[in-house]
Order: sequence, then C-alpha cells, then structure tokens
Amino acid sequence: MIEVEQLRKEYGDLTAVDGVSFTARPGEIFGLLGPNGAGKTTTIGCISGLLAPTSGRVRVMGHDVVREGMAARQALGVVPQEIALYEELSAVENLKYWGGAQGLRNPLLGERIQKVLELTGLGDRAREPVKRFSGGMKRRLNFACGIVHQPQVLLLDEPTVGVDPQSRMRLLELVRAEAQAGTCVLYTTHYMEEAETLCDRLAIVDHGKVIAAGTLAELRSMLEQRDLLRLSGVFQPAAARAAVAPIDHIEVVQAEENLLVLSLVDASRKLPAIFAALEAAGSEVRGTTLTQPSLESLFIKLTGKELRE
Amino acid sequence: MRFLWICVVKDLRRWRRDPFTLAIWLAIPLVLAVLMNVVFGGGGNPAPQGVLLIADEDNTFASKVVAGVFHRDPLDKMLALERVQRGEGRRRIDRGEASAFLIIPAGFAQAVNRGAAFRLQLFTNPSQSILPKLIEDTVSITLDMFGTRRAVGPAIGLETTVIPEKKRGKSFAALFFPSMLCMAVWMIANALAGEIWKERALGALRRLAVMPVRMAAFLAGKLVSVALVFACVAGTGLVAVRWLGRVPVASLPAAILWLVLAGVAFYLLLLLVSMSASTPRGASMLGNLVMFPLALVGGCFFPFEIMPAWMASVGRLTPPGWAVTQFSAILDGSTHTPGLAAALGGLVATSAVAFLVTLVRLRRSFLI
Repeated sequence: MIEVEQLRKEYGDLTAVDGVSFTARPGEIFGLLGPNGAGKTTTIGCISGLLAPTSGRVRVMGHDVVREGMAARQALGVVPQEIALYEELSAVENLKYWGGAQGLRNPLLGERIQKVLELTGLGDRAREPVKRFSGGMKRRLNFACGIVHQPQVLLLDEPTVGVDPQSRMRLLELVRAEAQAGTCVLYTTHYMEEAETLCDRLAIVDHGKVIAAGTLAELRSMLEQRDLLRLSGVFQPAAARAAVAPIDHIEVVQAEENLLVLSLVDASRKLPAIFAALEAAGSEVRGTTLTQPSLESLFIKLTGKELRE
Repeated sequence: MRFLWICVVKDLRRWRRDPFTLAIWLAIPLVLAVLMNVVFGGGGNPAPQGVLLIADEDNTFASKVVAGVFHRDPLDKMLALERVQRGEGRRRIDRGEASAFLIIPAGFAQAVNRGAAFRLQLFTNPSQSILPKLIEDTVSITLDMFGTRRAVGPAIGLETTVIPEKKRGKSFAALFFPSMLCMAVWMIANALAGEIWKERALGALRRLAVMPVRMAAFLAGKLVSVALVFACVAGTGLVAVRWLGRVPVASLPAAILWLVLAGVAFYLLLLLVSMSASTPRGASMLGNLVMFPLALVGGCFFPFEIMPAWMASVGRLTPPGWAVTQFSAILDGSTHTPGLAAALGGLVATSAVAFLVTLVRLRRSFLI
C-alpha cells in the first residue's frame, strides 16, 4: 500500500509537487496521469526515497520513507523512466545484479530470474549482451529488473515511452499480471489511452497538483462528461424522441429515419432502458456505437489547455 | 559486504566485455617496457651525452678558462655543462644525475697568480665509466697548463672523489620507468573515474539509490574493482620491465602494493573531480585539466631528475609526484620498512578521507 499525504517538493522557487495526496491499495493499479513536467516523476522520486519531500508524508506498506527508508525500500520495486541497464552485461547478469541489490540470493535468485525471463519473453536471448537488444526488449528487461524480487509495491514511471505497440501490449499485460498477483502498482504515464485501459483508479496531475482523482467512471461523472450513443436502424424520429425523453439526463442530438444520436451520462448502464423504450415506440435498432469521452478530452476540459508532450 | 562483491563482479564483467579498453590499459606498461628495451638496449646503458655540473665559486678569468674547455668541440657535444651552487651540485651528483661535479673554490685565480698550492674538487659518478674519466683528464690537463706557466712553486691540483656506489646514478630506463608506470596508472584512474558518468546517464545510480543497499558498499566495490585493474597493470608492467628492460625492482610485492594503493587514491581524487562537474563533457575536461598538469609537474611525463630544480621541488609535493618519488625509492630499494609503512599509512589515510568526501558527494547531489 502507498499512502501519500499532502506531499510537497520544492526546488528553490519552483514547486514541483504541491500538496499531493492519494492512497494506492494492494492489487490495484493506480495511475498518475499528467503531461510531462506535471510532477509525476518527482512524486515517484519522493515515494521511492530518492528525493526528500519538502513537507508531507509518504508511507510504503506502513513504513515512512524518510524515517524507515530501508524498510520501505525493501518493499519497493521501481521501473524507472530511463532504461537503467548495463548494456555490456547480458539479461541474466543484469537481473543477477539488480536482484542481488534487492537482497535475493541463490537459489531463489536463479528461480526468479528464470521466471521473469519467461514472463517477459526474453528467455532465448538471456545470455546476449543487452546492447544487442531492441528498444522494446530493453524496456521489458528494465521491467523484469523491477519485479525480479517480487515487490509488494511497484512503481512504474512511464515504462512504455518509445516502445513499439507490440512490446507496449506485452508490458501492459505484465503490469496487469503483477496487480492480479496482489502487488500495489503505481503507474505514471502521459498516454491517456494507456491510463484508461490499465488503471483501476487515477489521479490527474498538472503543475504538481492533483486536479481530479477517482475511478474512470467517477472521473467522467465528476467532470460531467457525456457519452455519445449512435444507433442505426429504422426509426420514426418523433416517436423515438418521445420514447427516450423520460430517461434521465438524455439529449437527442440527431433523429432521422435511419439514425438516432443521443448524448447522455453513463450510457452503458442506460442501454437496456433505451432499447426497451425504442422497441416500445416501434423502432428497430440494428447497430450501436458508444463513444465515451476520453481522458484526454477530460484533461483538456479540466485544464483548459491541450496535453503537452 | 555481499553487495560489495556483487558490484565488483558487475564492474569486472563490464570491463571484460570491453576488451579493447582493457587491452589498452594492459598495453601501456608493456609498450613502455618494450620501448625501453629497444631504445636503451635492455641493459639500461648510460646515455651517450653526460652532464657536468660546475660550481664556480671563484668566478674569475682563470676559473672560466677551466670551465670554458668544455665548451669546445668535441667536448661540448659529449657533455652538457650546468652551473650550480655547491649544495645543489652535491645533491645531484649524489643522486646520480650527472657524470661529474666540479667545484672551483674561491681563491683559485689568486693561487694561480701566486703559484700557491690549490685543489679543485671533482666528484665523479661511478655508474659511468668513460665520461667521468674524460672530465677528470681534461681538467687535469687544463690545470697542468696553469702549473706549467708557473715554473716554480706548488702545483695546482685536482682532488677527485668517486661518490659511494650506493648513490650511483640510474640508467635511463630505471630513471624513466617509475614515471611512465605512474603515468599509466594516473591515466587509467582518470578513465575509470569518468565511468561514473556513464552509470549516472544510464539511470543505474538512481535505480540503485531506491534499493535497500548502502552506497558505501557500491563505492567500496568500485575501489576493489579498480584495485584489481591496477594490480594487473602494475604486475604486467613491473614483470615486463624487469625482464625486458632489466630495470632493477628491489621488492616486487611492495612495488605492486604501492601502485595499487596509489592508483586507488588517484581514482578517488579524480572521481571527486569528475563528480564536481555538471556534465559528462565538463567532467572529462575537468579531469584532463587536473590530470595533465599534475602528471607533467608530478614527474609522470619526465623524471624529476631532468626537470629544473624548482619544478622538481614543486612536483614532489603533488599527489603523483609523491607517488613517483616513493615508487622510485621502492624500486631501487632505498626505502626502509618504517618509511614504507608510513608512506603506505599516509596513502590509506588520504584514500579514506577521499572515500568519505566522495561518498557524501555521491549521496547528496550526484545521484539525482
């Protein structure tokens, strides 16, 4: 578990993190979402004990990272943004080094190395120097080095930057597997779609502050974002309008003989009611397209500006 | 302790995977040994040109006539004449830095004019056979000329002293080798110190900082790794020079130990310098800025024996200068056990202080 309370980090006049608070639970993927420079890496730095907070409190598995740094670090696994690997060494040698640094000893170390090499699909290239690896393979090995000791808390700082789609999918699967195994995962990214598909709960940060937090549905709801439901089929426009009107917070955007477009909050839960009302009104629904508002659009609406790369 | 060894294994593996650099490190002393063997014929033969030191305390026309003989062809091609004070000349001939040292005491001209008895002093270097004899004969013949003019009265003579054998001069190979090997260690230390920036750029240091390990163990691991590299370099160089260059090595273990400890101290010093910079390029420039002048003044490029006296005095106070001086003494066996122990203790103490300062720097600012 990670508990962050009123975390603040200043560099002279610059406040990189400004009163950030959140809790990430075991088995959960908690996302820190925000543009570059929002304070995500600084937050991770404070949680991992790399940076000393100016004020506030951070606990990892109940251990204060400042007062009980060593105990907190023993529970942590960190996958940094940079590929922190020794390129002259092989995958196995890197894993031995980083696993050894985490206190693993043989035979457990050997077993874990085999396991993570299998998980990351690097088993057949395990003895090759890392400098011969592709970018995606290095990213996977970077991840493997962070989980080789089976940490209770895993911090992932933009682990998919510059990764090809195939390797990205693989990495995201690995992250899900870690969470399913009971690890508390803190995942920072500026890729909105990644956060949407991966994270159980999210905190959107900008300029060092949490500007919104919750599940994806809560965030959407909190921000009053509306889904767009496009129904194709056979409709009587006036009857269709009248049929859906009683449903809460619904707005008919477009009503034609073969197309009905509705704007509403939490559309997926209201689909049965909509279908029932339309059927009762003599309409025939042949196709459905539900477009949910993306986090990117939420971020833009929330901050009034576009996502900065 | 376990993590220390993990770090040692990691560094040694990394260097083994870079065989070109490793070969260069080992080649430096080997190349020096081969060059010395080729240039100086393996026997450490004396140089073809000698040095005559003259302390002309009379400074008269007569004394200049004596000294002026050596400016004439062919002697001027065989001997380099240096005017020195009596004390400096004595020190240098004792160290074997010249073929001979001639003292013309005050009153020489008066004695010549009066026909009084007078003795010039000549100290000769026993390690050279031809040039000291040539000098002695030349001075004697010149003095005979003065004596011939004065038909009567006591002769003007020359008192020749051969300095004790234990203070005999070194061959050029023996003179240059300590400097060259210390230069090799100094350069390797600079190259190894710069590696910390590679680890920093990789993010490996930051990753390590969030793990349950002590940075002191990491730094100590680095010292053990570089000590092993220096042991290989020193061992290779010393054995090669002993066999190929026939340079005397009084105590091989002591010489290796000294070079290893000096190398570790150099490494720590240059590591601290490297970490004081703000960029890798700045670190490289700063390292070279520190390394080359200190190597030059500190007797790593040229032995102190052929430096101007003032530069040698300053150079001996620098870290490489101190290391070269002690190393030379270990090689020629002129250092005694208590002196060697004190020097080693000083080196270890200096390294310990440098270790602590480097560790603080590493933890507080360099990691992030």
